[in-house]
Amino acid sequence: MHVIRLDAVSVDFDGRFQLSDINWVIEPGQHWLVTGTNGSGKSALVAALAGMGERMSGTWSGVPERVALVSYEQQAELIEAELRKDDADILDVISEGTPVGEIIDAGCQDRDLANELVDTLGLRPMIDRAFRKLSTGETRKVMLVRALTSQPDLLVLDEPFDGLDGDSLAWLQDHLRVLATTVPMVIVLNRFDEIPEFITHVAYVDDGHLAHRVERSDEASMADLYQLLHLKTSDLEVPQADPADRLPALNPSDPLVRITDATIRYDENTVFEHLDWTIETNQHWQLSGPNGSGKTGLLSLITGDHPQCYVNDIFVFGFQRGTGESIWQIKQYIGYVSTALQWEYRVGTGLRNVIISGFFDSIGLYSKSTDMQKAIADEWLALLGMSERADEPFSGLSFGDRRLVLIARAMVKHPPLLILDEPCLGLDDMNRQLVLALIERICASNETAVLYVNHRPQDAIRGIDNHLTLSGESAS
Amino acid sequence: MANYFNTLPLREQLAELGKCRFMHLDEFTEGVDALKGKKIVVIGCGAQGLNQGLNLRDSGLDVSYTLRAEAIEQQRQSWKNATSNGFTVGTYEELLPTADVVLNLTPDKQHTSVVNTIMPLMKHGACLSYSHGFNIVEEGMQIRDDITVIMVAPKCPGSEVRAEYVRGFGVPTLIAVHEDNDPNGEGLALAKAYAVGTGGHKAGVLMSSFIAEVKSDLMGEQTILCGMLQTGSLLCFDKMIEEGIDAGYASKLIQYGWETTTEALKYGGVTNMMDRLSNPAKIRAFDLAEQMKDIMRPLYWKHQDDIMTGTFSSGMMDDWANDDAKLLGWRADTAETAFEKTPAGDVEISEQEYFDNGILMVAMVKAGVELAFETMTAAGIIADSAYYESLHETPLIANTIARKKLYEMNATISDTAEYGCYLYNHACVPLLGEFIKGISTDVIGKGLDLSDTGVDNARLIEVNAAIRSHPVEAIGGVLRGYMADMKQII
Repeated sequence: MHVIRLDAVSVDFDGRFQLSDINWVIEPGQHWLVTGTNGSGKSALVAALAGMGERMSGTWSGVPERVALVSYEQQAELIEAELRKDDADILDVISEGTPVGEIIDAGCQDRDLANELVDTLGLRPMIDRAFRKLSTGETRKVMLVRALTSQPDLLVLDEPFDGLDGDSLAWLQDHLRVLATTVPMVIVLNRFDEIPEFITHVAYVDDGHLAHRVERSDEASMADLYQLLHLKTSDLEVPQADPADRLPALNPSDPLVRITDATIRYDENTVFEHLDWTIETNQHWQLSGPNGSGKTGLLSLITGDHPQCYVNDIFVFGFQRGTGESIWQIKQYIGYVSTALQWEYRVGTGLRNVIISGFFDSIGLYSKSTDMQKAIADEWLALLGMSERADEPFSGLSFGDRRLVLIARAMVKHPPLLILDEPCLGLDDMNRQLVLALIERICASNETAVLYVNHRPQDAIRGIDNHLTLSGESAS
Repeated sequence: MANYFNTLPLREQLAELGKCRFMHLDEFTEGVDALKGKKIVVIGCGAQGLNQGLNLRDSGLDVSYTLRAEAIEQQRQSWKNATSNGFTVGTYEELLPTADVVLNLTPDKQHTSVVNTIMPLMKHGACLSYSHGFNIVEEGMQIRDDITVIMVAPKCPGSEVRAEYVRGFGVPTLIAVHEDNDPNGEGLALAKAYAVGTGGHKAGVLMSSFIAEVKSDLMGEQTILCGMLQTGSLLCFDKMIEEGIDAGYASKLIQYGWETTTEALKYGGVTNMMDRLSNPAKIRAFDLAEQMKDIMRPLYWKHQDDIMTGTFSSGMMDDWANDDAKLLGWRADTAETAFEKTPAGDVEISEQEYFDNGILMVAMVKAGVELAFETMTAAGIIADSAYYESLHETPLIANTIARKKLYEMNATISDTAEYGCYLYNHACVPLLGEFIKGISTDVIGKGLDLSDTGVDNARLIEVNAAIRSHPVEAIGGVLRGYMADMKQII
């Protein structure tokens, strides 16, 4: 077999779906697993390998001629073809359609194997029945027999284990293992627990793009990929707030935040001045501006972490700052995530406790937590796909995982205001998608106002329609 | 002014020395209420002054700073510290007449002049707070009868006081009320509210007395905390160089060795620190510590006696009057020592190696902690105080040496502690001279040759029993238990 190489390939499927800018190299000896969410284009990608769709641009090389494909789409196509043959309306005869035996024989290169397969998969009793009368599971088995007996140069299987009974599944897995020594395979699966041993690489498809390619031996990247898939596909709800943890109610006619004619100045250097900003309940904001324009300073005027919050006219959560309120009365309304917080969060405690610390706005946990708080933290860990790791030390997590846990910590109390100061900063592509996926879930299922600091258009979050830009020229 | 302690009858001296109680969290349910709406004015804006003020303001209290007129006019660092953090700054005359609570966070040696200046300006019935009792106890400062006098002393550098507060925690804090100046009986309530305002109540508050704080604090800092670590650093370094150990290695072993070995002390007392050694090494360390205790005991007694009689403080006050001539000379000498001038080498030393190759250092810590504790309790200081001022603070001081050697330690501690440290060091280095001659690299620098780690059962049992039954271990177990309750999770 040759190296299969796709360079900047785009494929159109009847104008309904497009794969774009696919770059993919499959070397001899590799077996790929393709995964992604529903509708991401993973089935389209493997179908394109089998020659389906219309190639719009890019260069292809090394794709063998004999590619066997098993997929629902192709199964549906075959059945449709069978139905078209049934032109009984015209001839006024009852057509049974093509028998199963004939369907299997077409293209069969290994009659002994075909016989063995028909017996093993329990197809013998229906060998003379019309193909289109079979159940979906039975049709699937016929498709597998056709593919496996065609002596392909590349075997492409889209969800091959779906709907197979226990014995058939065991046999198929066994057979594929043997076949893998001679035939390269590309398999679509949505469940990582079914990955066959022989798979060497995993591809992740997102929105018609081949977003990630990971070597299976790279355990850290595999774990991230698993988590990404989990966040994208699980139908978990964002966990509820603690019913016992009631924030003092805010006056609905007040804004969450009102900053009037604010200035931050260090010695002679004015970071910004004359800044006015009002954040209403449930308003989502994106804050941007060049480095040094005072974005983080502005945020810390709101959180109370900036000492100059006491010399500015700042109204937050019903408190005019500097009138006898404590910083903890302010912080109870805010969830906060930033790279700086992550650096500061150097505590030798477990993940569950880090999330629980969000109820107390503390770095580290210094108060006894309730069973309810523990249960809520565990729900968040489940949402993050980290249930098994609840007691692992936070400091031992990867950079990206720590960010996810801190977002959960910020959200655990369902704060009226969630501040995300460049939450994707320092994250690799996959972890960025993880973080964005989590934030989008939060935005969609919550009554939290989100204040999002971001520069990168590709990291934009849907639903944020208010923008404040600091110019960095000591005025806004 | 006369030494206040010396004016008291013996039974009152003993009663005051015996005060130290660990307060429970439920004693702080009133929070900062006693200080709400009161005008708090801080004198001095160094590390303690600024960081305590930031915490108090973030706890909802009204904080401003008063500085001497020159400091304001010349916009000195203290003025910058206060103004850049958005605090109101004013002269004594501008702010003190309306202040309800005045926090005196200036260095000891300025207290007499500062307090004499501010007292006439303070309003009737106001409160004056100290963070160290030296001025009251040793200098006998008399405060106007209508003024309430309290002490609130966070037991950490100012930067830690702030960092722990921001994390939602605090640092262990000692509070006291000067019984002679509590005209309205509100001293304790004010001190508790102040401790809450700085976050101290979350980490543990000790209720003590001015006298117990001063007499135990002076003893601890002069002997085990600073004096012993400085003496040990210099002796161990010179010994290793003499024995041909690489200078970079020797420098690193000492600079980080105190921190690493006393970390074990912090978690499990002398017992745990000793348990980190192999059995043969533990027995060696035990024997070395016993020898050093016998040699150094008279020195510890002398320090405690001089502290109790006031000899130490009058000697130091003479030096204040002489423009700190001794202090500055000793400081310069320390900067010139071989240990101080040799940078830590670029060599890997594992955590365990600091124990294995630093047996003598472990023995020095054990000897110093136990002697200081024994001497303090024999002088009437309650075991709780003696524990905090010896074993508990040793790791904190060891951390400063790890940062920048003896320079950092002496820069971080107060001038009072630094002066006492040099006094101890000058007496202790020659005292241990003969002993050190008999030392070789098996207990400092290279470690024991452990082809056979066997020990005699009876001897090991004897040594373990002696380590574990020391009174500092008994009180340490109880107090670490309280602290663990408060800091249960991290």
